[in-house]
Amino acid sequence: MDFKKQFKEGLLTKNPVLVQLLGMCSTLAITTSLFNGIGMGLAVTAILICSNVLISALRNFIPSQIRIAAYITIIAGFVTIVDLLLQAFIPALSESLGVFIPLIVVNCIVLGRAEAFASKNSVAASAVDGLCQGIGYTVALIVVCVIRELLGKGTFGGGILNGGEGIRLIPSQFPAMQMVMPVGGFLVLGFVIAGSQKLMKHLEMKNKKKEAAK
Amino acid sequence: MKTESSAAYIARLTITLLLITAVVAAGLACVNAVTAPEIEALNAQKTQNAVEAVLPGGGEEIAFTDDSGIVSTIYKGQSGYAVEVTPAGFNGTVTMMVGVDTSGKVLGISVVSHTETAGLGAEAAADNTAGNAFRSQFAGMSGSVSVSKDGGQVDALTGATITSRAVCTGVNAALNAVAKLG
Amino acid sequence: MEAIVGIILSALLSQNFILVKFYGICPFMGVSKKIDTALGMGMAVTFVMALASAACYLINLLLVMLGLEYMQTVAFILVIAALVQVVEMFLKKFVPALYKALGVFLPLITTNCAVLGVVLVNVQEGYNFLLSVVNGAAGGLGFTLAIVLFASVRERVDKTDCPECFKGFPIALIAAGLLALAFMGFSGLKIF
Repeated sequence: MDFKKQFKEGLLTKNPVLVQLLGMCSTLAITTSLFNGIGMGLAVTAILICSNVLISALRNFIPSQIRIAAYITIIAGFVTIVDLLLQAFIPALSESLGVFIPLIVVNCIVLGRAEAFASKNSVAASAVDGLCQGIGYTVALIVVCVIRELLGKGTFGGGILNGGEGIRLIPSQFPAMQMVMPVGGFLVLGFVIAGSQKLMKHLEMKNKKKEAAK
Repeated sequence: MKTESSAAYIARLTITLLLITAVVAAGLACVNAVTAPEIEALNAQKTQNAVEAVLPGGGEEIAFTDDSGIVSTIYKGQSGYAVEVTPAGFNGTVTMMVGVDTSGKVLGISVVSHTETAGLGAEAAADNTAGNAFRSQFAGMSGSVSVSKDGGQVDALTGATITSRAVCTGVNAALNAVAKLG
Repeated sequence: MEAIVGIILSALLSQNFILVKFYGICPFMGVSKKIDTALGMGMAVTFVMALASAACYLINLLLVMLGLEYMQTVAFILVIAALVQVVEMFLKKFVPALYKALGVFLPLITTNCAVLGVVLVNVQEGYNFLLSVVNGAAGGLGFTLAIVLFASVRERVDKTDCPECFKGFPIALIAAGLLALAFMGFSGLKIF
């Protein structure tokens, strides 16, 4: 088990959103304030860890023909638990994310990790994988949220800081409202992915140079 | 090695899946037992808060007839009525409470629940400058209200004309319902 | 009747499932490289969405009767998964021509959030049986419209010369953004 490698993969080289391009629906739909991004990120991380652990524990017990159905049932169970808990204890978040909480069931990240990782690896490794992929997802969401919120509303930390209003960085007559609308979701995510690809190329070149120097 | 079509194998598939579903269902039932009263209490509290926000002192539920199809409950208090209306918003139904005094003027409005776009239509319910300014402009209005784009006197929320229109529809329905009560 | 027309128009244009509500982005990005595959995917999704809306409406009646509303998500996703399987087997056996056209797309549909999304919205809005099915079918057609339009844009975008790091997915997302901008024009449609 290589925690450092898994962490790096989850956060950067195999980031679920920026590289594997999974879970696009929620990434585009709810990234309009920092509060939403962090809330959604943590919800998905919790579900990922739980479902990875359980699926990994049951991996020798579930026959392969019905594995997808079994995985989906398990995931749907955890999603509903999170949904109910949020409704009961953090109603503000539950209202803000709306139908996108139950839709975590069909978030390809969760099913994707179950199929690609948890069904083949030990419980501990799967838990770590869930945590790392979840963090990678959360970080990507936060990046998109911060950019969209800043351009679209001119604030930072909406929903959490400054009594829910966020800290105003751009005077209120300037922000482009379109950035918190669907259009902005597509555009900002496009630029963020392009930026991350550029960054990764850069890191790769640096590594190669290092190796060549050796 | 069993063949894939043998009866025993099919039975195993079925039983495994059944077991998993049963366990998930049992787990959910437990969680639901814990959260259901919380959620119910929260919703009841929210309704009560919403009634008191638009009708000082709160009120009691009364019977009414509705022909707009969106008035769900009417509460009668000392200074007037609180009407719960459910107009169609941008993404779904907006449930809101409208306070109306005995002379047919809006006392105030509050949004109970909605599924509007975060940052746009959701501002109609948000407790911030934009949301409060939007809701407070309804106080004192009477007759028929509409957004300025449609020739009315209500300033719509930025980027959320449809949500704003829905709120106006709700207020109109509430005013009509109260006018009918006499 | 008015309600039906309203639902159809909004699902197709002003509330387009992909470009406005963000349901079903994965297949939208994944299966939009060619117009004909996009059309195939769209038709398959429309078919399953209408069927799922009908099936889940009945299942929901049962759940509400038993007081098990909290099982909705689990029940719906299982019904959808089973439905997709049944449709696949049925088409394979009885309508091989259609199976050939739609077959490869069917397994992907289970995890398409447009399907689960429309079912959840139907329940939330309290649509009756007819309106649920209409909403499902119209949502699917909206999905088809968006994905086919996008595929035709993408066939050209993929051949253009753009900065290295934008190649592939990022530039496609930006193209989708422009398409969403165009669809925003419909949001003024007075159908409510």
